[in-house]
Amino acid sequence: AKLPKRTPRLSPLRSTPTTSDLPGVQAPLQPRREMATTVGDAPTAMDEKARRTRDLLASFYNTDPAAAGAAAASPARPSPTAATASPLESINSTSFNPDVYMDVLVQQSNLEALLQRHVKMAAEIKNLDTDLQMLVYENYNKFISATDTIKRMKTNIAGMETNMEQLLSKITSVQSRSDTVNTSLFNKRENIEKLHRTRNLLRKVQFIYDLPTRLNKCIKAEAYADAVRFFTGAKPIFEAYGDTSFQDCKKASEEAMDLVIQQLQAKLYSDSEPIEARAEAVVLLKQLNFPVNNLKSNLLEKLEDCLLNLQTEPTQASVGDISKTFRAYLIIFPDSESRLIELAHALFTNRYETVRGALKERIPSTDLLAMLRGLWEDATAIDEVISEAALPAFSLETTRDIIKQHIATAFLHLQNEISDVLVTHSTSNEKLEESQLQTAMEKSKIKVSQGCIDLLQEFRHLIDGNTELLVKLKDLIIDWVQEGFQDFFQKLDGHFHLLSGRSTGFSQESSTVDFVQIDKVPTVLVLMLAQLCVFIEQTTIPKVTEDLADSFSGGGARSSEYGPPFVPGEICRLYRSSGEKFLQHYINIKTQKISKLLNKRFSTPVWLKHKEPREVNMFVDLLLLEFNGVVSEVKQILPGLIRRHRHSDSTGSTTSSRSNPMREDMLNRSNTNRSRSQFLENHLAKLFEQKMEIFTKLEYTQESVISTVLKLCLKSLQEFVRLQTFNRSGFQQIQLDMEFLKSSLKEFIDDEAAISFLLKEVNNAAHERCLDPIPLEAPILDKLINAKLAKIKEQSANM
Amino acid sequence: RRRQRECRADPAASSTAASSTRARCITDVRADAGSTTFLAGTLSLKEENEVHLIRLLPGENELVCDGLFYHPNEIWDLKSCPFDHRLFSTVYTSGEGYGASVWKIPELYGQSNSPQLEQLFMLDDHTDKIRCVLWWPLGKHDKLISIDDRNIFLWNIDPSNKSAKVISQGSADMLPNLRGGAWDPHNHNAVATITDSSLHFWDLRSMKRSNAIEHAHIRDVDYNPKKQNIIATAEDEFGIRLWDLRMLKHPLKDLPGHSHWTWAVRHNPEVLERIQLSIYGWLKLALMTLDPKALLVRPLGKKNHYCTRILTTKIASMELHGAPMIHRCLLLCLMMEGLF
Repeated sequence: AKLPKRTPRLSPLRSTPTTSDLPGVQAPLQPRREMATTVGDAPTAMDEKARRTRDLLASFYNTDPAAAGAAAASPARPSPTAATASPLESINSTSFNPDVYMDVLVQQSNLEALLQRHVKMAAEIKNLDTDLQMLVYENYNKFISATDTIKRMKTNIAGMETNMEQLLSKITSVQSRSDTVNTSLFNKRENIEKLHRTRNLLRKVQFIYDLPTRLNKCIKAEAYADAVRFFTGAKPIFEAYGDTSFQDCKKASEEAMDLVIQQLQAKLYSDSEPIEARAEAVVLLKQLNFPVNNLKSNLLEKLEDCLLNLQTEPTQASVGDISKTFRAYLIIFPDSESRLIELAHALFTNRYETVRGALKERIPSTDLLAMLRGLWEDATAIDEVISEAALPAFSLETTRDIIKQHIATAFLHLQNEISDVLVTHSTSNEKLEESQLQTAMEKSKIKVSQGCIDLLQEFRHLIDGNTELLVKLKDLIIDWVQEGFQDFFQKLDGHFHLLSGRSTGFSQESSTVDFVQIDKVPTVLVLMLAQLCVFIEQTTIPKVTEDLADSFSGGGARSSEYGPPFVPGEICRLYRSSGEKFLQHYINIKTQKISKLLNKRFSTPVWLKHKEPREVNMFVDLLLLEFNGVVSEVKQILPGLIRRHRHSDSTGSTTSSRSNPMREDMLNRSNTNRSRSQFLENHLAKLFEQKMEIFTKLEYTQESVISTVLKLCLKSLQEFVRLQTFNRSGFQQIQLDMEFLKSSLKEFIDDEAAISFLLKEVNNAAHERCLDPIPLEAPILDKLINAKLAKIKEQSANM
Repeated sequence: RRRQRECRADPAASSTAASSTRARCITDVRADAGSTTFLAGTLSLKEENEVHLIRLLPGENELVCDGLFYHPNEIWDLKSCPFDHRLFSTVYTSGEGYGASVWKIPELYGQSNSPQLEQLFMLDDHTDKIRCVLWWPLGKHDKLISIDDRNIFLWNIDPSNKSAKVISQGSADMLPNLRGGAWDPHNHNAVATITDSSLHFWDLRSMKRSNAIEHAHIRDVDYNPKKQNIIATAEDEFGIRLWDLRMLKHPLKDLPGHSHWTWAVRHNPEVLERIQLSIYGWLKLALMTLDPKALLVRPLGKKNHYCTRILTTKIASMELHGAPMIHRCLLLCLMMEGLF
């Protein structure tokens, strides 16, 4: 079927010779011609030729003509358009048109070229023919050799079947022989195995029978570990067959084991045994299911008792023992740690409690320190054994608390002592002798400063020790001491206020009690408190600050945030204001007392019906008495005179009034109508220029306090006078009293100008409130005053 | 012993303006809503005593004397009627005794030449020295209280009929020397009285004393008109103190600053309830500012220039500078400056 196909393909080539007008060319040779033409077309390209051959063969074997055609056409064949462009080239393409080819060739070439081409083409066709013949021949050869090979195979296979059958029969016979051997040996093997088992059992039984003796041997050799091992090995058997023939044996070995247990216990309890042995004993006992926990708790209870005894009668040496015991127990009972920690904690808690108890009474820092140091050492000793108990941390904390408490109690004690000194001295008896107040004052001053210094000394011990414990706490202690002083001074101030009875603002609870007793608070105490405040502010606090800076500087962690805990400036301010308050309070109390006296004096008599003055009124004596009291108190407690010419200031402005008060009064009176406005102006001027100066600033001097009290009282006197209306005699009485006071008060005070001015004011007030103000004549006044002075002299002489 | 020159600025009363007398008491005429007026009574042994009606000219900060009335005796206490600006009461000395009367200011027909005061009635049931008369501070009330040394009287008054009757009387048996008092504006039946050494509270229905503040030398007392249960006292030693009536053991607050007896204390009745004035004997004024949060004591003259000014111009000119809203009190204060 392939050959006819080939034919049409070559048919166009065949047509070529027909059109080339070559009569010599026969029909069978037509393909060759065609081929020759192709070769002639490309004579130089040999590889071109080989490729074409391959293509042709491929197209020959290919079943699909279209694909073959495409495959043949694609490589280098020019496209149909290219063929039309150069028809001479397209001789090998499928779209080869022989007519066109011929036309073109004829048109383009001359005869000679045509002839040449003809020769070339004929050669080419011949070549192609040879190639084709060669191809056919080769294929035929291959076919022949294949046929030969098949023939040979057929003859060789015939003898193999028989050999295979022989092999099978031989293998079957081997199998049957092996089965027979196996069955014949089976019984014997069974017997042997049974015998072996019996032997093993017998050996075990033998072991169990031997067990008691073996155990005893072990006991003798003290090889308890082996004994226990043997016994635990035999134990399942005893459990299974204990009731049968092994009974005796079991009993014996159990007895032996009891002995072992006893021995082990003894070993455990005896302190002299090495710890490892004891630990081993415990392990063995545990293996024997002996209730070890009971043992443990027994032992620990014993330890606890021992520790309790230690607390009641502390002996320093025993702490080492305790730590040893702890270590032993820790090794013996590895699971007893928590219990031991508890015990250690209990021990130390108790011991710190006793220290705390001791703290309630005031103990010196050194003692406390010794105790704490001892405890700390113990704690570290035990900590080496059980570090999990965190004893150092615990004792550090407790020590911290204790020291803090110690500092606090020290301050409290000091406060109490100071207050005791103050109270006992000022309240012991009403009539204190001259120097007594002074000494009391001195004592309390010394108490305060010495107390502070002592405290500092004490606390210095606390931080001087170079124990590890104290080094850790040093910063904290410094803080506490500083805080302590701050707090102490504040509390002391509060306490002072409480003592003074003007505690209303401080603590509501306690003041309710004190409020009732306000009148009973001794005035001296208030004055002493005032002075003490000044002393603290000016002497104690600088001293304390200095000492603190010396020994307690640096301080703790908080100082950076809040500044140093001890703020001397703040305390100074506190005491300064308190001191002023106390002083003011003292003056208030005194003036209040005198004010009462004056009130009585002026509200009781009917001044409009007063009789002529015969002598200086009694109330002046009382007034002077009060002043004397104030003066004596103040002179003892407040610092003495610092001569400053303070009064010279006020003299300047009061010269006119002081020069001759009586005359000026007269003058004023006589000129009332004429120069009223002038008088007013004068008076106003006086008011503004002088009265403002009457109350100068209060100072901590005898003079300042005395004159303040005096001035306030005279001012009150004036106010009382203003509230009354007098007849002539009443006025004269006032005049006389004031005149006498004037001479008597001179000795109290150096600010004479102010006093005489005030006395004159009283006189003026009486003058104004008098219906008929005619003053006593000077001689009568002198006479009466002299009489009074003589009387006083007489009295003092009689005394 | 006080001096008052309040009339000086008044050209109409220039003839009497030169007179300078002393006064112990001044009161604001609360009933006169239209203007700021005060009544002051003089205290003079040897000359004629007068009651001055003083008005503060609103725009000019000037004081004028609207009336000058003859009063027969030395005036120790003067209170204006809170509901009728023409009524007031005085306590005065008459010879050796004391008397108290309620007066009516006559109509002023342009002329200010001392018309006679009309005496409505006397409070004459007292046997002891009368100390003061109290009106109920807020508005109309037909009762009046008078206090003498030992007793407290409650009167029923009828100004139109010129009659007064004693309704009840309370006796301060063991208490020495009643001095004065104040009527609670929040309660018709509550009165506080002062003695030499204590302050007592009275219930007018039973005429019995209830509780007291002991051991205090109080000169004056004033109820806070805005806040119930709060009183201010002026004392000898402590200056001014504030108290809560429910807790009398301790004062709410001390306001020190006075150097001698504090004679009088008043709450500002009007706009600035926080401002309180107190007067003491040494020609110093103190303006107390009561802040609800922090109680500040501000001595006059440091911050308020008008006060400084007044002090330095020495009262005589009587010029007032500064905020008009506190004039009423300032003036009150100025008048009482003479209390030394």
